[in-house]
Amino acid sequence: MVYIKWAFWGIIALILFAFFHYTLPQHDIVRVSDTYEKRVDFGENSIFWAKEDTGNATGNINRDVFFIQTIKKNGKPLVYRNEDTGWGWPPYFKFDTSNLQTQASDLRSTSENPKWVMVTHYVWRVEFWTVFPNAIAVKQVADPDMTIIPWLNIIILLIFFATVWAIRVRWIRFRQRRIDPIVEDVDEGWDNLADGARERRGRFSRWLSSWRR
Amino acid sequence: MLSLARLFLILFVGLTVAYVSVSLWSRQVRKGKLRSAWDEGDREYGEERDLYVRRGLEDYDDSFRRKLILLVYIVPLAVIAYIIYVVNYT
Repeated sequence: MVYIKWAFWGIIALILFAFFHYTLPQHDIVRVSDTYEKRVDFGENSIFWAKEDTGNATGNINRDVFFIQTIKKNGKPLVYRNEDTGWGWPPYFKFDTSNLQTQASDLRSTSENPKWVMVTHYVWRVEFWTVFPNAIAVKQVADPDMTIIPWLNIIILLIFFATVWAIRVRWIRFRQRRIDPIVEDVDEGWDNLADGARERRGRFSRWLSSWRR
Repeated sequence: MLSLARLFLILFVGLTVAYVSVSLWSRQVRKGKLRSAWDEGDREYGEERDLYVRRGLEDYDDSFRRKLILLVYIVPLAVIAYIIYVVNYT
């Protein structure tokens, strides 16, 4: 029983971790090498793509998507997509896709003369399923080794855990006050019933044995 | 426009649920406090216990404190407006 309980909470914790890691913004320091757009036919990975730009026709099976090609500090490539999230999930309310693409193109640089750029993104890069992180913002930085403190994520997680804790405490109090007494009542009633039965059986067997004599 | 309407519908339903539950919970807390205040000998709203609690709650219904629960609607909308500004205009 204990193992099942821990497995259950372990799975819940894993799902929560994955959810926040997927949705919350992250920062990378990269160098933009180029930008392009490509027609994408959405298949079984369609859940990882955002929706069409706000105001455009919906329900298309394919459309052109902006991409930003970058090189990380360690020399490995990282490709972002650049799509509107619009009014949908996750709630980034990003409508400035074309502006962002313009800024990213403007920040292009070569490996000989790198311009370091901080890209804010969400989602993961999964090569096996052609999933790209969605870039939210680009910003040129002077020092590529700067430390980034994710204040926003800290605040969001704090608020989330504070809310969970507050509801949990109130639920436990409610259970102690309202539900436990009822269960005790039922328990007591059952005990009385069992006691009564035992007593009756006692009387019955006494009556039986009175005949045996 | 359809997705905006959908967002507002979801927000409205979700926030209304939050608003109603917070209102009920807050009123319950207020009631408990009034009862314990009466038990400790306070007689600001009357001598009888039930009457005291009822008048105290009527006072609470008109209070600024209760109107603060409207922040349940205002804060998320303000946060959305702020996110739109930060993501698209800075």
